[in-house]
Amino acid sequence: MKTITITPLKAFEISVEAENISPDKLAPLTLRQIRSLSIWQGNRKRKLSDLFRAEGDDGPAKVEDVTITLQGDFSRAKRIAEGMTAGKVEAEGGVGMHAGNNMKGGLLSVQKDAEDWLGREMRGGKITVSGNAGNYVGAGYRGEKCGMRGGEIEVGGNAGAYLGEHLCGGSIRVHGDAGDFPGAANQGGTIFIGGSTYLPGAEMTKGTITVRGRARVLPSYQKMEIMSIEGEDFQKYVGDLVEKGTGELFVRVGSS
Amino acid sequence: MIVEDAICSFCGCLCDDINVEVEGGKIKRVRHACRLGSSKILGHGRIKAPMIRRGGELCMVSYQEAYDRAAEILLRAQKPLLYGWASTVCEAQKKGILLAEEVGGVLDSTATVCHGPSVIGIEEKGLPGATLGQVKNRADTIVFWGCNPAEAHPRHSLRYSSNVCGRFTPEGRAGRKIVVVDVRETRTSKNADKTVIIQPGTDYEVISALRMLVAGKSDVVPDEVGGVPKAELDGLAKTLLAARFGAVFFGLGITHSRGRYKNIDNALSLVTELNSHTKFVIMPMRGHYNVGGIGQVLAWSSGFPMSVDFTRNAPYFNPGETAACDLLAKADTDAALIIAADAASNFPRAAVEALAKIPVIQIDPYENPTTLISEVVIPSAIAGVEVEGTAYRMDGMALRMRKLVDTSYPSDEEILSHILESVHRLQRGLER
Amino acid sequence: MIIKGGIVYDPANGIFGEEMDLCVDEGRMAEDAKGEEIDARGLLVMPGGVDAHSHIAGTKVNTGRIMRPDDARLGIEPRSGVCRPCTGYTVPNCYAIGYRYARMGYTTTFEAATPIIEARHTHEELEEIPILDKGALTLFGNNWEVMECVRDKDIGKLAAYVAWGLRSARGYGVKIVNPGGGEAWGFGSNVKGPNDPVPNFDVTGAEIICGLAQANEMLRLPHSIHLHFNNLGKPGNYTTALETLELLKDIKPSRKRQVVHVAHMQFSAYGGTSWRDFESKAPVIADYFNSHNHATMDLGQLLFGSATTMTADAPLEYGNARLTHNKWSNHDIELEESSGVVPMVYFRKMLVNAVQWAIGLELALLTRDPWKVLMTTDHPNGSPFINYPEVIALLMSKPKRDAEMATLHEQLPKRTGLGGIERELDWTEMAIMTRAASARILGLEDKGHLGPGADADISIYNLRPEEVDPSRDHALVKKAMAAAKYTIKSGIVVSQEGQILAAPQGRTFWVDAAVPKADTDRLMVDLQEKFEKYYSVRLSNYAVQDAYVPNPKVIRAGIQMEVA
Repeated sequence: MKTITITPLKAFEISVEAENISPDKLAPLTLRQIRSLSIWQGNRKRKLSDLFRAEGDDGPAKVEDVTITLQGDFSRAKRIAEGMTAGKVEAEGGVGMHAGNNMKGGLLSVQKDAEDWLGREMRGGKITVSGNAGNYVGAGYRGEKCGMRGGEIEVGGNAGAYLGEHLCGGSIRVHGDAGDFPGAANQGGTIFIGGSTYLPGAEMTKGTITVRGRARVLPSYQKMEIMSIEGEDFQKYVGDLVEKGTGELFVRVGSS
Repeated sequence: MIVEDAICSFCGCLCDDINVEVEGGKIKRVRHACRLGSSKILGHGRIKAPMIRRGGELCMVSYQEAYDRAAEILLRAQKPLLYGWASTVCEAQKKGILLAEEVGGVLDSTATVCHGPSVIGIEEKGLPGATLGQVKNRADTIVFWGCNPAEAHPRHSLRYSSNVCGRFTPEGRAGRKIVVVDVRETRTSKNADKTVIIQPGTDYEVISALRMLVAGKSDVVPDEVGGVPKAELDGLAKTLLAARFGAVFFGLGITHSRGRYKNIDNALSLVTELNSHTKFVIMPMRGHYNVGGIGQVLAWSSGFPMSVDFTRNAPYFNPGETAACDLLAKADTDAALIIAADAASNFPRAAVEALAKIPVIQIDPYENPTTLISEVVIPSAIAGVEVEGTAYRMDGMALRMRKLVDTSYPSDEEILSHILESVHRLQRGLER
Repeated sequence: MIIKGGIVYDPANGIFGEEMDLCVDEGRMAEDAKGEEIDARGLLVMPGGVDAHSHIAGTKVNTGRIMRPDDARLGIEPRSGVCRPCTGYTVPNCYAIGYRYARMGYTTTFEAATPIIEARHTHEELEEIPILDKGALTLFGNNWEVMECVRDKDIGKLAAYVAWGLRSARGYGVKIVNPGGGEAWGFGSNVKGPNDPVPNFDVTGAEIICGLAQANEMLRLPHSIHLHFNNLGKPGNYTTALETLELLKDIKPSRKRQVVHVAHMQFSAYGGTSWRDFESKAPVIADYFNSHNHATMDLGQLLFGSATTMTADAPLEYGNARLTHNKWSNHDIELEESSGVVPMVYFRKMLVNAVQWAIGLELALLTRDPWKVLMTTDHPNGSPFINYPEVIALLMSKPKRDAEMATLHEQLPKRTGLGGIERELDWTEMAIMTRAASARILGLEDKGHLGPGADADISIYNLRPEEVDPSRDHALVKKAMAAAKYTIKSGIVVSQEGQILAAPQGRTFWVDAAVPKADTDRLMVDLQEKFEKYYSVRLSNYAVQDAYVPNPKVIRAGIQMEVA
């Protein structure tokens, strides 16, 4: 096991790009090398040690044996765990935008909140957030047909708008509310929203969205039968018919 | 002296039939322009000299001092924002992009508070469009959705849309159906054949319902969508399908209501689908006269049309993260150059407050609320009146703005070149 | 500068792989010279590449960029040295276009299609492209004035309009795309072929093509008409190609060149009656080119992977979008043209795409005379130009073609005879198809060859033609052609081993053709009316101003007449 603990030296004003803080990047490196990794802050290329304290195990390890612990506030550190294929990143505070971008495996766990674009274009692995998440959780990049294709995201609190936009595979679970237009233009995957939301599944062609709270439903969704899921009644809809979609939307009955 | 066919430098109509009477090196009279354009061309009191704020007060300085101070501010910043660009010519915009690359900043335009959502919609769906002359010559059905050209683009209907005559539209207004979709009656709707009033924030649902009706899938659509009875929506769908050539113009009413870029995204798909039945085009009613220009120039220079982050020496585009308002909302910028736009008047309040906390360089002919929070103020020549150059109309048509009168003020392009020179000088100094 | 000991291929001057020194003086090829010596001993040397058909600048190119941030984010190269940042793969930004062509040894590129009214935008982008010499072809196939002149059989006025249009657009030649169809698309329809009358205008595409060809020759323009056939992209359209070519065979060219240059022939060499029985008709087309001398073609080769289709054939683009359910941009241009942009992906395992891939190669291999064939991909319609080395390697190596075919849809051999073609092009033929012929077809006298007085545009590749067998070592060929050892433009080394060393500004070629004043006067009566009544822009604001072409290279042409 190789554990590295990273702590910000002080609060950042301008956000930093921390794509180098990932098990894949740190696995083969010594502590000295880790401290020399580059972290961009705006247009300044800094060393990791300029902004963070890094302590832990020296010596190389396999990616899956690496655990990175983030102590403190990382909410202005973007792209943490980008592209990770294995191992663990545990943030005791919050994380900045694009945490877990392009993730392929391993676990990213966040104790507080995650900023926008959590798990963008995710392929595999698991992300858990105890607090809230921002907009575009598990979404794609502008202009791309497919965003997230695999993996699991779980948010304990609320999530912002455009949850899982362009979802093609994998699953997203939000215990609280989700903002406007979750599951927009989806072609697969599953979304579960414990709370309420607005106009889910806009232009969805395939996939499943389940809402336990209230949801305003699009006029292009066809009302089907009422189904029982885990002992609760859900109204089933099929859509989005503007795209001849066969996606399934379940909204709990008695909560509309 | 009369200058004929001058091009107006106010809105995205870019009317190019303006007659300007110039006497003694001053503009005396403007003909053919609407009152917005006239007012712009006639001009008003302007900033006399460059200023730098010292001890809370703006003090007059030389241009060179202002350029040097601006360069200092930009180079000291870790993430400077270079914003505005919509009311100057492309030649200046090109220099601005080079400056942003050299100082490692983020460049964004007024589209961010205007048709930025339209751009995002276009990135999802494309833009089935045409030049305004196509609408003039062919459109027998015109829809104004969430826009009020009677007030914001006064000569649009006269030159390009509702009232103009063309080759296949010799009857002009009499041969056209004008439809307005909005949340209330407007001056534009008073002259429409059909007005559909929808509940605020329901544009997306109404468009989805229209898509269903146009596709003949009426059964699924509820009896009322967005507060509009289904029969009325059905009537609208039929009107659209009966068009020989339909044109949809849209504005801030739909880009900034609930749904934002999703509304445009959906409208683009509606128009695409209408093309499988008849001919339809769609066009955003661009506000500032050259916001189209900065979009074009930035796209061919960097690959992206707005909100481009150059801090890591390569263009990065992600509106929601790299747009001016995003940076200010998160206090993620430490200096700003505001040029050819009035950020303090048009940004959300939180963004203005953030702007007031960082050093601001203003380049503009006129004083405006942004001046109040600026540390450096550099008065420029008025593009399109004192400086010639290129601008792009709302349909993408490039025209050359004329120079009507001489001036001793430097142009935006010259100012930016000088700031670049100061930047290079400072960089060389730092290297030693 | 002296380039020493290269194995030079200068087919226009009868040099087919001779070891010789080349001398450069003041930016031109010279008999002798002093100065910097470049060691090219044993290496492949050719004139700088000339691309006669590529979509590099203007409204539809930029629309492609704006609608495809997903493409822009590929191919990102940070700024470094003399280079500004680059983005994009199928829709590169302006700087990427200049640097990437130069890296491959290309020094001249022409924009394939520009409507007159939007030429200002095209020139703004051309000026932003570093290094390359360039030009833009001007669209005339759907202009109202053209159709009316043709309808009235007034070739004098038509020639005056072409001259006026080229001057207004600072254009280089006459481009015709789906003649009549672009106008029909104004109300959402198309024409079914060159004999289908254009709605509201009482002319046919055939008449438009012949009228413009006559005007082109009357004006003695350096280039011939450049033609994108009706029915492009449709199964069975090879008949349209042949019948259209037949229309032009008796027209006499005014210069020593073709009467018609066919754009991206691959897209018009289709057999079958639907996508299901789709097959190659390249042999029939090649036969025609082999037995007639009035036409030339560029391939429009398709390669697998990502592309962005963009063309003035707007109905075709709409069809593409519906077929693939992809995002779609359309732009109809008042009184002049229509255009569309749709992203595409071409798949190895899709039979139709595999056949299309084969057709381009067949056309090049079955046409005997390399002077009639230009190697292009109709960038970015068939593939981005950055993939030219792949096409070159395929044309020079049967083993490579066989290896590639083995990875494609297994039905392919039933739809194309490519597998049975043994011919492999050699360096002389490649030099012709990428330099010498393109320059000759365009009518660029100082390009595409290395004779004294020619522009000193030279490419030197890391490949020893006397030692390498392109058939067996196709991987080496592809690698060498991807990054020239030296690219020299107007006597300046602009690229070395793939690194851009200098980014001087290139020139823009355009044609100024003289016509009798009487014809222009009659023309202006028409145009004044059109600007009064139909255009949304004033006549005085229409033409491209000098400011947009600060580095012009003007070629004079025109009707032979008494000089007043």
